Amino acid sequence: MSEHKPNSVPQPWWGRILIGFFTLCGIVLAMDFFGRPEKHHPLEEWPVMYPFFGFFGIALLIIMAKGLRRLVMRSEDYYDAE
Amino acid sequence: MPSSVPPFLIFFIGALVVPFLKDAPRLRAVWLVLIPIVGALNVWGLQEGFEVQVQLLGYTLTPVRADRLSLLFGYLFHLGAFIAIIYSLHLRKGDSPTVQHTSAVVYAGSALGAVFAGDFITLFVFWELLAISSVFLIWTRRTPSAISAGMRYLLVHVVSGVTLLAGAMVHAHNTGSLDFGPMGLEGLAAWLVFLAVGVKAAFPLAHSWLIDAYPEGTPTGTVFLSAFTTKVAVYALARGFAGEEVLMYIGAFMACFPIFYAVIENDLRRTLSYSMMNQIGFMVCGIGVGTTLAVNGAVAHAFNDVLFKGLLFMSMGAVMYMTGKTKASDLGGLYKTMPVTTIFCVVGALSISAVPLFNAFVSKSMIMSALLEEHHYWIWPVMLFASAGVVEHAGIKIPYFAFFAHDSGIRTREPPRNMLVAMGIGAAMCILIGVQPQLLYDLLPGEVDYHAYSYTHILTQVQLLCFAIAAVAAFHLWKIYPAEIPSVNLDVDWVYRRAAVKVTRFTGSVVGAADGAVRRAFLGTVRRTMRGAFRAHGPRGILARTWPAGSMVLWVSILLSAFLLFQLF
Repeated sequence: MSEHKPNSVPQPWWGRILIGFFTLCGIVLAMDFFGRPEKHHPLEEWPVMYPFFGFFGIALLIIMAKGLRRLVMRSEDYYDAE
Repeated sequence: MPSSVPPFLIFFIGALVVPFLKDAPRLRAVWLVLIPIVGALNVWGLQEGFEVQVQLLGYTLTPVRADRLSLLFGYLFHLGAFIAIIYSLHLRKGDSPTVQHTSAVVYAGSALGAVFAGDFITLFVFWELLAISSVFLIWTRRTPSAISAGMRYLLVHVVSGVTLLAGAMVHAHNTGSLDFGPMGLEGLAAWLVFLAVGVKAAFPLAHSWLIDAYPEGTPTGTVFLSAFTTKVAVYALARGFAGEEVLMYIGAFMACFPIFYAVIENDLRRTLSYSMMNQIGFMVCGIGVGTTLAVNGAVAHAFNDVLFKGLLFMSMGAVMYMTGKTKASDLGGLYKTMPVTTIFCVVGALSISAVPLFNAFVSKSMIMSALLEEHHYWIWPVMLFASAGVVEHAGIKIPYFAFFAHDSGIRTREPPRNMLVAMGIGAAMCILIGVQPQLLYDLLPGEVDYHAYSYTHILTQVQLLCFAIAAVAAFHLWKIYPAEIPSVNLDVDWVYRRAAVKVTRFTGSVVGAADGAVRRAFLGTVRRTMRGAFRAHGPRGILARTWPAGSMVLWVSILLSAFLLFQLF
C-alpha cells in the first residue's frame, strides 16, 4: 500500500490549493441564497440542495463502496490460483 | 461533392494494404493517417437519404443507409479512428504493429459498416467482424491474462451476434422484411435483438466482458476498443428501441452500480472501464426517455464520450507505455516527469465530470433536462447521484492516483510525440465542443432547441461538483478514503470464471463417480455371468462333458421306471 510513501505534492501547495478550493465552495454555497431562476423538480425547492446532494452523495458512495470492498475484495492472484 | 462509396470500404481497402508496408514504417504511418481523412471526406459527401440496395434470396438488403443518425456516428468514428491511429503510430516490431494496425483499421471499418447498415444481415456481418477484428487488440499484449480475457471477450460477442441473427430470422419470418429500424419491445424477434444489443452495450449482468477485457488490451488497443463497440450498441438502441421505458431503468442502474466498484478498483484502466459503463448508462437512460431532446442528448453524449474517455484511456495508456504500470498502488507523483500528459489527463477528467466549458457539460445536461421535462422525478435524483459519482472516480481518482498522491519514486519521461499529439487533439476537441456546443448540436439527428449555458445550470452544476470534490477531500483529510490495495474485486465474471468452473468440476466428479459405479456393477454382472457360463459350458462344465452311451441308457431306464411307477400308483 502507498500510505508509507512520501506525498508527491509539497505540503504548502496542498494547503494553498485546499484553502482556495474551500473558499470557492463557500462562494457557490452563498450564491444559492441569491436565488435560482429555474426550478423543475420538487427537490430543487430545498435550499442548498445541490451542495447537499454533492457532499452527502459522495459520502454515501464512499461508505457503501468500503462495505462492498469487504464483500468482493480478493487477493490479486485469485483467478490465477486455479 | 456528392459521394457514393460505402464508408467501410475505404477502411477495408486501407487495411489490406497495411501488411505490405511493414518494412516502411514512415509510409505506413502516412497511409494509416490518410485512411480516416479520406473516409471522412467521403462521409462528408454522402447525402442524407443515400442508400445502396441489393437483392438476395428474395430479400432486399441495404448495405448502406445514410441518415442524420448514421452520419453522426460516421463522423464520430472517423474522428475516433483518426485520433487513435495517430496515438498508435509509434508501434515498433516488438508491439506487433502490423497485426495491431490492420485489426484496428478493420475494427473501425466494421463499426462504420454497422452504423450505416440498413438491414439485419449487413448489421450481423459487421457485428461479428467488430468482435473478431478487435480481439487482436487484446491478444497482441501476449500476457496469459490477456489471452484468456480475449477468449472470453470473443465468446461473449459471438454469442451476442448469434442472438442478433436469431432475432433477425424471426423478424424476417414475421414481417417478410430484413430492414433494421424502430422495433419496439414486442415479440420474440425484438427481445432477441434487444438482448444482443444489450450484451454489446454492457447492460448490467452482461457487462463483465468490458471490465474483464478492456484493461487487458494493449496501451493503444484499448483506445480503439473504447471508441467503437459500445457506441455501435448505443447507435443500435437509438435506432431500434428509442422510447422504451425499460431502458430508462436499465440506464439508471447502469449509471449507478459501477461507480461503487470504481471507487475500490486498484487498476486505473479497469476503473475507466467501470466509468465507461457508467457513462453508457446515461446514454441508455436518455434513449429510454425517447424524446427528441433525450435522444439528441444520448447520442451527443456518445460523441463526447469517445473524446473524453478516449483521452483518459490515452493518458493511462501513456503511463502504462512509459512505466509498465496501471495500478494506483504502484503509481503516483508522475506529474513531475510527465507534465504534459498530466494536463491532458486533467482535461479528460474535467470533461467527463461535466465541468462548464468542457464537453460532457453540454450533452449530459440534455439528458438530465429531458428527464425533468418528462417528469421522471424518481430517475432524475438517481442520475444526479451518478453524476456526482463520476467526479469521484474519473474526475479525481484517475489523475490523482496516477500523477499526484504519494510519490511512487518512478522517474520517467513524456510518451512518444505521436501519443502527445493524439491526446492534444482529444483535449482540444473536448474544450472546443464545451465552448462551442452548437458545432455538435448542428450534427444531431433531431432539431435542437437547447441552451446548456443558463445561469441556473452553471451554478447548480458547479455546486454539485464542488461539494462532491469537497467530500472526497474531507474523506482524504480524515483518512477514511478507501486506500489503494493490490487486489481483484469479484464481479459477475466470477460466475463463469470461478463458480461455473467449480460447478463443472463438482458435476464432473459426481457424474464420474456414478459412471464408475455403474460400469463396475455392469462389469461385475458380466464377469459373474461369464463365470457361470464357463462353469456350465467350459471344458469341465457339466453341459460340455462327453457322456458314455451306458450312462444314457441307465438314465433312460431310470426315467421309464419312474414313469411306470407313476402310472401304477
